[in-house]
Amino acid sequence: MGERLPHGEPRLELVELSKTFAETRALDRVSFDVRPGEVHVVAGENGAGKSTLIRVIAGAVTDYTGELRLDGRAVRFANPAAASAHGVATIHQELSLVPALSIADNFELTRAASPFAPRDRRRASAAAAAALARLELALEPAVLVETLSVAERQLVEIARALAGNVRVLVMDEPTSALFERDVDRLLSLVERLARDGIGVVYVSHRLEEIFRVATRISVLRDGRRVFTRPAGEVTRDELVSGLVGKAASSPPVPRVRAPRAVRLRVRGFGCDTPSRVPFDGLEFELGVGELVGVAGVDGSGASTLLHVLFGAARHTHGEVTLDGEPYSASGPRAAFARGVALLASDRHESVLGELSVLANATLSSLGAFSRAGVVDRAAERAAVAPASSRMRVKAPSLDAAAFALSGGNQQKVALLRCLLSKPRLLVLDDPTRGIDVAARADVHELLREVAASGTTILFRSTDLAELAALSDRVLVLARGRHTATLARGELDDARLLSAMMGGAA
Amino acid sequence: MRPFVPLVAVLVFGCVLNANGAFFEWQTHRAVLREISVGGILASGMTVVIVSGGIDLAVGSVLALSAVSFAWLTLLHGLPGFFALPLVLLVGAAAGALSGVLVAWPRMQPFIVTLAMMVFARGLAKELSGGQKISTYVQDPSGAFRSVPLPAVFEALDGRVLGGNVSVVTLVFLGSAFVTWVILERLRVGRYLFAVGGNFEAARLSGVPVHFTLIFAYVLSGICAALAGICQAAQETHGDPETGLGYELDAIAMVVLGGTSLMGGRGGVALTVIGALTLGYLEKVLSLNAYSSELRLMLTGVILVLAVLFQRRFGRESA
Repeated sequence: MGERLPHGEPRLELVELSKTFAETRALDRVSFDVRPGEVHVVAGENGAGKSTLIRVIAGAVTDYTGELRLDGRAVRFANPAAASAHGVATIHQELSLVPALSIADNFELTRAASPFAPRDRRRASAAAAAALARLELALEPAVLVETLSVAERQLVEIARALAGNVRVLVMDEPTSALFERDVDRLLSLVERLARDGIGVVYVSHRLEEIFRVATRISVLRDGRRVFTRPAGEVTRDELVSGLVGKAASSPPVPRVRAPRAVRLRVRGFGCDTPSRVPFDGLEFELGVGELVGVAGVDGSGASTLLHVLFGAARHTHGEVTLDGEPYSASGPRAAFARGVALLASDRHESVLGELSVLANATLSSLGAFSRAGVVDRAAERAAVAPASSRMRVKAPSLDAAAFALSGGNQQKVALLRCLLSKPRLLVLDDPTRGIDVAARADVHELLREVAASGTTILFRSTDLAELAALSDRVLVLARGRHTATLARGELDDARLLSAMMGGAA
Repeated sequence: MRPFVPLVAVLVFGCVLNANGAFFEWQTHRAVLREISVGGILASGMTVVIVSGGIDLAVGSVLALSAVSFAWLTLLHGLPGFFALPLVLLVGAAAGALSGVLVAWPRMQPFIVTLAMMVFARGLAKELSGGQKISTYVQDPSGAFRSVPLPAVFEALDGRVLGGNVSVVTLVFLGSAFVTWVILERLRVGRYLFAVGGNFEAARLSGVPVHFTLIFAYVLSGICAALAGICQAAQETHGDPETGLGYELDAIAMVVLGGTSLMGGRGGVALTVIGALTLGYLEKVLSLNAYSSELRLMLTGVILVLAVLFQRRFGRESA
């Protein structure tokens, strides 16, 4: 935690920034400054205006009112390239690396040079290697980005942003795709960069993280700045109530359940698909209405398990039964037909941006909303409208395109789609990745209700706190093996982590 | 409202120039509607394919193949129209199904698949007709030439109804546009088409029958091309293997001018009808006012770009 507030002239000043989109006021006269050596955390719910703020600083939004000052001089970036030329580096949530190119080639893409300048591969490779070494990343510059894991890509992206002469570094939830050990590495790096005199703007949802790195905290809500205060003077509850606009709610009550009927039984289950992390020898049972977490670092096979259950059943062996009947889904359609639904971790695989909220919500259960192939639009609306308001989906209307919604609300719509298919087994791959505290609480509450109504839920999470808060049990996978099962009473970070790292629980 | 702007602009332009009042006569408008009909039928099917995220370059060739098949069945073999018509639609459906299967399973790029189908169908049309137009002046197996009467179905399709005020092909065009509209906006498969075009992977993971949906799109486009081919044969009173050259590009232009996104997942056939009217009226206004055909082509190109630029939607950012 930053105990001292760095003095000196601000690196970056935001003066009365406002930006209005068609209907919504995304930013409303937001002002604060970022000093050299400071990690300035910007916190806010989905839709609070954080993304817009970042896009203004990064030069991606140009028609704003107000002023940006860099080292005391007013600047107005015409485009992202202008921003980076001024030493303002931005790391967006969506990765911007080109998968088919090598790491070194990706580094070269951002270098300002004439398109016809001759390429010096050796120099490019050396420059990339130096930048990777700075983050202590053991990666070859010649490796293709598409072969890297999401976490590795994120780190490479950061290394690339830092390769130039950076004065201000803007990071938009850089840890949302990372596991604990990578998070730690990243946060140490952020602290080191601040010490070197860079002004860091750090956007995050995760409270632990915020209190660890922040020098000062600015909270945004509904496009307005709620407060900017030194991190040492802000308590956890103050931060949460600032974000949500009301007092923080109490933690959930532990659930006590009677023994239940078996829904999914897995015996000697293994998978060796060439394209995925393999696993083998899995034996477990999931009860009706049970909420079970799957924990495992990258490469543990946890993600493969979810996908195989959902309908990539090729290259598997062993025995799987669903409600006592053999189960082997050859594809998503077959899985849905058996009452198994999946929510993918990547929002690009779970949300259809061009389609309306309504069409997104009913896509998996359209058969129930149509007769003889004709969609009954009134019935759709009658089913979706109450469900979406119960889930607190914030959307201009049900006919609005899904891409107009914030990330958390898109995720809620995707979850609604799964629920409308009335699944017996709901498989969720990191269901709250990259969504804010309030939306996450909504999703958790909803999942508990769904489980209570008899749906079995199997979810993977990269967030230990989430695994502990939500699960009746947690299955821990390490290197493709089931290494531990932790019951509700024994879920703490230390146990989970040591099991995930392959040790005994 | 935005799709209407280019159309209204062209109509205003037509009223102002008006070619000594010719623009205000119904027969001018009747002619425009007739001239866009064959292209409009193709564009209806094309809309469905483009919404699904693909493209169908084969429609011009399938049109020729269908025109030749129709003439071959009715003129050369004397098959009655009501029998020949469904057979030819089947030919179009088969061509579309072949493209669709290649797009759906090996996941080949629609551009390449339909480019191949475009060449193949043209070859088949020439093979079937022996490279000649199949007209009412037919050659018997014995080698002797004779003239056959033009079947009633040709005359019916080339005729006019409602007191001679509307061409039959225009009704066929509006009919196919309506059927396509129902499919896209009211049927379950329509929702699937938007889903597959908007985000294939998310659609697949949502349990959408993605393969069926893709094949459906190309079959529908093939059927529309066959229907257009039959109308073309009726209007030309023969089956010409060289007909319909470049029609696929006109159809794509109509779809795009309406505002349907070539990226898939967004658009609609009502927009395509507006696009077809815009192109048809542009051509008519320029020709009525004695602009040379060279200048007309150049102006059409310029206006196509301007109209699409104008329609491009902004504000895809979210807060």
